[in-house]
Amino acid sequence: MSPDANSDLGYVREVVQRSERQAMPREILWLWAAISLVGFALIDFEPERVGLYWLVAGVGGFVLSAWLGSRRAHATGQESRETGRRHQLHWAGMGVAIFLLAFSADGSSAQPTARTILLMVALGYWLAGVHLVPALKWMGVLAAATYVALAFLEGFPYPWTAAAIAIAAGLVVASFAGGTAGAER
Amino acid sequence: MRLAIAVLLSRWDRLSFSRLRELTGETDGSLGAHMRRMEEVGYVSVDKEFRDRKPVTWYALAPTGRRALDAHLRALEDLIGPG
Repeated sequence: MSPDANSDLGYVREVVQRSERQAMPREILWLWAAISLVGFALIDFEPERVGLYWLVAGVGGFVLSAWLGSRRAHATGQESRETGRRHQLHWAGMGVAIFLLAFSADGSSAQPTARTILLMVALGYWLAGVHLVPALKWMGVLAAATYVALAFLEGFPYPWTAAAIAIAAGLVVASFAGGTAGAER
Repeated sequence: MRLAIAVLLSRWDRLSFSRLRELTGETDGSLGAHMRRMEEVGYVSVDKEFRDRKPVTWYALAPTGRRALDAHLRALEDLIGPG
């Protein structure tokens, strides 16, 4: 191939890669920081309401996130139904898996179930980081570290509140490290 | 340049003029000339809207453009492929 054709194809590849460096809108990460803060802390304070909270906040957060993502794509000037669908399938898959785990869990083992759900959340963030938004890989690491730390916080008075703060803070940090504001171009 | 634009439009459903300019690094005038030419030959479809009272032009790859891109990519494969 001629050097000109090589350079042309190199330019095409560079332009396409640039278009694929997509960040997640900060509003979505802030939304999930708030939902996670309340949802995980609730395990310490109102454990009997945790299931209902996550059912309502999880579904509501998912719908709101999809809307924020599509609004951001429009504001950026770069729209793709396929990309939106990939994000939705990833998060919906994680949501359904968590719902099934919680639904089939023995009522007497709330704490181990909650910890297993946290591990699934860690895996969800890690896979999102690998396949969708690179900055979320660190959220996966943080959630996994929180899962490990919870095993050592037996005597700690509010272990899930500490976990909630860690996860919410991680999402806020990720929003500045790898997110973009909705109106940014 | 037009190959890059066509590949971008095949990857994404639609792109605005300003996003295309940002991605390609072209000037308004140069990109505008490329887009007009691609529109004239039916390779792209154009959609205009107003956002905050400012006009926004969206481009999508038309079926003719997709066929032309496929043919071009096949020709490139033949060029670089084995045999």
